[in-house]
Amino acid sequence: MATLRINGTDREFPENTLPATLLDLLTILQIDQATVVAEIDGAIIERKNFTATPLHTGQSIELVRFVGGG
Amino acid sequence: MTPVFFELKNAVVGIAGLGGLGSNVAVALTRLGPGRLILADFDGVEESNLNRQQFFLDQVGMHKVDALLANLHRIRPRLDIIGHKIRLNPDNIPEIFAGCDVVAECFDRSDQKQMLVETVLTRMPETFVVSVSGLAGYGRSNDIVTRRISKRHILVGDGESGIGPGVPLTAARVGIAAHHQANAILEILMNELNQPRF
Repeated sequence: MATLRINGTDREFPENTLPATLLDLLTILQIDQATVVAEIDGAIIERKNFTATPLHTGQSIELVRFVGGG
Repeated sequence: MTPVFFELKNAVVGIAGLGGLGSNVAVALTRLGPGRLILADFDGVEESNLNRQQFFLDQVGMHKVDALLANLHRIRPRLDIIGHKIRLNPDNIPEIFAGCDVVAECFDRSDQKQMLVETVLTRMPETFVVSVSGLAGYGRSNDIVTRRISKRHILVGDGESGIGPGVPLTAARVGIAAHHQANAILEILMNELNQPRF
């Protein structure tokens, strides 16, 4: 079992179902990548690097999602 | 006008977008009296803006930067204000807002909000950003909260109320979010940066 801590809540992934990249995780969570600021273990991941950022069990991920209006 | 806090005299605040959020944040900050405001927007004043933004009917057609600057100077004539009539992007944001202690993210579109926050956090290591997500509609005043996401990122809003069919932006609820933003900026300036920068 692999685990990611997403916005403070642990989420478990059965064997071989851990999303490979940050973009894969956003797809699973149905979050539009254009609207999210992402941090992994305290470091900002730029949007252009979402596909190139592999995920590993135990990481702590903060996703700040923006909705329109201002 | 007497400053509310003399500690703010060296503070520099940037406002990215002069719509419902940005124009209201700017008015609140002007009354507080910071050292300098830096305003940026590419748009003009439209009649449809007047339901929530700090412009007047006789300013329709003016550039928002010119109109807001005039209004702010009617409140505090000697406030140092720099206006940029420009569409912000990741390349020009660090230049436009160079020297800012805090930048207020006051855009309308969600992808633009993302772009501004990501740019400040990755390319402006000395600058705080106060952003907003979720302010459309009416009522539910107390669902709008101010949260600290990380050392330099403060987020205001209910996190979910985007603009959409039957969910307009209202002066009342946008105003609540804008004043959360202004209050978060004041708190940063007073508590976290309270020392001369220049």
